[in-house]
Parts: sequence; C-alpha cells; structure tokens
Amino acid sequence: MGSASTNSSWSVGATKSDVLVKELTRAQIVMYAGASGDYIPLHTDEVYAKEVAGYPSVFAHGMLTMGLAGVLLTDWFGDGTLRTFGGRFRNQVWPGDTLTGHAEIVAVTSVEENGATIEIVEATLDVVNQDGAVVFQATASAAPALS
Amino acid sequence: MSQDEHPGLTREQLDPFAGKSCGPSRQSRDPIAPSDIRSWIDAIGDTNPIYVDDDASMATGRSSVIAPPAMLQVWSMAGLGGTSKSTTQDPRKELFALLDDAGFTSVVATNCEQEYLGDAVPGDWITTSEVIESVSDVKDTGLGRGHFITTVMSFTASPDPLGDGELIGRQRWRLFRFAPKNRGSGGQAGGDSDRPPRPRPAINRDNAFFFEGTLAGELRIQKCDSCGTLRHPPSPACGACQSFDWSTVAMSGRGTIHSFVVNHHPQVPAFDYPLVVALVDLEEGVRFVAEMPDTDREDVAIGLPVEVRYRKQEDDLVMPHFVLAEGSSQ
Repeated sequence: MGSASTNSSWSVGATKSDVLVKELTRAQIVMYAGASGDYIPLHTDEVYAKEVAGYPSVFAHGMLTMGLAGVLLTDWFGDGTLRTFGGRFRNQVWPGDTLTGHAEIVAVTSVEENGATIEIVEATLDVVNQDGAVVFQATASAAPALS
Repeated sequence: MSQDEHPGLTREQLDPFAGKSCGPSRQSRDPIAPSDIRSWIDAIGDTNPIYVDDDASMATGRSSVIAPPAMLQVWSMAGLGGTSKSTTQDPRKELFALLDDAGFTSVVATNCEQEYLGDAVPGDWITTSEVIESVSDVKDTGLGRGHFITTVMSFTASPDPLGDGELIGRQRWRLFRFAPKNRGSGGQAGGDSDRPPRPRPAINRDNAFFFEGTLAGELRIQKCDSCGTLRHPPSPACGACQSFDWSTVAMSGRGTIHSFVVNHHPQVPAFDYPLVVALVDLEEGVRFVAEMPDTDREDVAIGLPVEVRYRKQEDDLVMPHFVLAEGSSQ
C-alpha cells in the first residue's frame, strides 16, 4: 500500500496483479451482506438460491467483487486518489472461487486542476476466477501523487 | 421457452419511466460510524490502516479516517427489512410490476460505475437520491430475455443531519430483469414433460375420504353426526360440539369467492404463475381453499360464483380446483 511513493512515474503499460481472495467462503459473503446491508437471498440463503432461484448455490454480491478489486487499485495508486471506478459483472462469483485482479495503465494525462498540474492515470482492471473466466471487467481513473 | 411468450414491453410503456426520480431523497439512518467501516473492510479483507486508524490517516494529511471509496453504495442501503424501495412514490415499483407481469421476474446486477468526488468520514450523514436513467428495449442474453434498467444515484455528505450536503459521489447502476431460460413462467400446466411433479398431499386415516371423493369426482366434506356442523379441512373432532362421530356428504361444488390471493413469489416450478388461490364459501356453508389455475387474475373478484373442477395429478390422485361459474366473468 501507499506505493505511490515507490513509483517514479506512472507510465502506460505498467501492470499490477494481485490475488484478491483465495477460495471465497460463504462466511465472507454473509459478512459482506451484513457490512453492506444487502441481504438479497440469492447471496445469503442457500435453500432459496438452489430451490427457488435454481442456482447451484448462493453467489457473491457483485459489489463484494468490486470492493475486493478496489483494494488492488487503492494499494497501487494510493489512498484517496481514486476518481472513478466501475465495470461490468461478467460472470457470477461462487463460494470456493479464487479471484485475481490484473490492472494495466492505459493512459496518463497531465491536467491543470486548482492551479496545479496533476497526472490522471487511467487503468483497466480484469478480475478473473481460477478457471480464467473474467468475472468483473472494470476501468478506473486516479490522481496518484507525483513523486 | 419461445420468444413469443415474452415479447417484452413497448417504448410507449417504458419511456415514461426515463428521467423519473425514485422517490424523495433518503438520508442514512445514522451518521457513519467507524464500526461500519471496520465491518466492511473485514468482509473485504482490506488491511489499509487509514480506514480504521486516525493516526495513520492523519499522517497522510487527513483529519480522520475515511471510508473506502468502493463502500459508497453501502450508505444507500436500508438493511434487512428496510424500506429503501417501498415508498409509494417510487416509480420503480410500478416498473417492476409491469416487468413481473410480462414474465421478467428474475433480476441480476450487470454494471456498476462509481465516481468519487469527496471523502466520506465518520460522523457524516449521507443523503442519496436516485433517478431512472433509461430502460432498454427487450434483449436476449445468456441468462434469458429481458430489459436492462439503469439508474443514477447521487450521494451527499454532511456532518449536520439538517445541513446541505456536499456531493461526494455518484453511482450508475444497471440491472437486468429477465425471464430465465429453462424455467416456465406464465404458461399452462401439462406441456413440460421435464417439469418437476406437484407436491403430493400426505394422505392419512383422517383425510383419506376426501381424496377417495375427488377420485370419484365428488367434493366430500365432513359432517358431525351429533350436531350436523360441516367442517373442513378434515379433523377428528367437531369444533362445535367436540363429538368424534362423523360421516361425509358430497357438496354441490358451487360456491362464491370469499377472498383470494395472487401468488407471484416464491415460485415452485411445478406451478404456473401468477397463481390465483381462492377462499371459497361453498353453498352448503363451509369454506374451502383451492387454486384457480385456469383463471386470469384480472377476472377474479370477491363474491363471484365459482364451480369445482378436478384434475388428475397422478394415477391415484385427483385434486380439485375452481373455475368461474358460467356467465360470471366480468
């Protein structure tokens, strides 16, 4: 974390990959439900998810995956520097999944803001599961500290 | 499932929702507490101290810990049993009802885009307002056929619950409301050979007479041998005089709707939805519950006359249901 100071510059093509979660547990999904206030039974009630909704089990909130992925970005660009972050939930995330995030800087621009010149970094971020399937495909922009 | 079964809603039905506000703006139930943040980062597994340790955060030039950016949506949630979407002024209720009626009963979140304009910190009251941005034409996807709904939520923060907040973020959220593949919805029974069977009633010595009756095409009801009171569902003793002596009589099968419900959810695959279930006053003076699977819910009303019909469910099991009596539809 706080790696802004270790980056001498932000350059297009720089990458960062992290394991976001290893073998996601139902307990973590339930913790996220409690912490986020999102108690939709598809995520919290195995009987409902299987027998009523017809899924193989409960699955993770999309926002849990997004939160996990956000850690990679804030670790890389520094705290409080994220400007935008969002993406598409491509596949469901199931208990037992191991998720890895792969981020890459695709643009760096200098802009004038409040009388100072700052760098805006734009990145793509793919979160893939243990089978290589993309579960969350995101973009983000940040204003990391200039070193 | 054929596409004809779910043609989708028209632009004339959908366009009025675009741009509508999802009810009045809502304030968080409490100001942000450090424990809210800790619960969330525990669930995520984030160990960054600036979210929980004031000293660590102040070392970065801030005046206190901050909430993680991706936690933004949390401040809009009303919790278990919450009322976030239950306000009568929320046009989403009407939109979702239209989509339900068109067979698009399942939901999945497909996109989330957040924009961070300021920090949320402990003590802040967060106010959210949400606007329906667009509703798509009907689309076919891997999940099934349905409509995408996009809303935009704005978040403001203020240390004063009555104060004007500062805009700290926005969230564009897209849902897909769809008719799932491989699952019947709105069709008639009997067509799906791979459909799971209907639940079988537990038949015992107290109620066997009833199912012997339906096999014979009769609606047999218990009658007390002591006081003559009719009773249903079957039970060993008379509720009026406590006598254990009883016999059965065949009803005419005619009655009137005392009340009814239209069941949408939860759905059991063996049944078709929306499912009308009626409480029928039989003309002999006893009340009976049964489904009305062939009756459109728009045609059902309290007080309408109904007649019993029978359907063979298994070789040795026939179940009663009701239809509107001839000439009674509105």
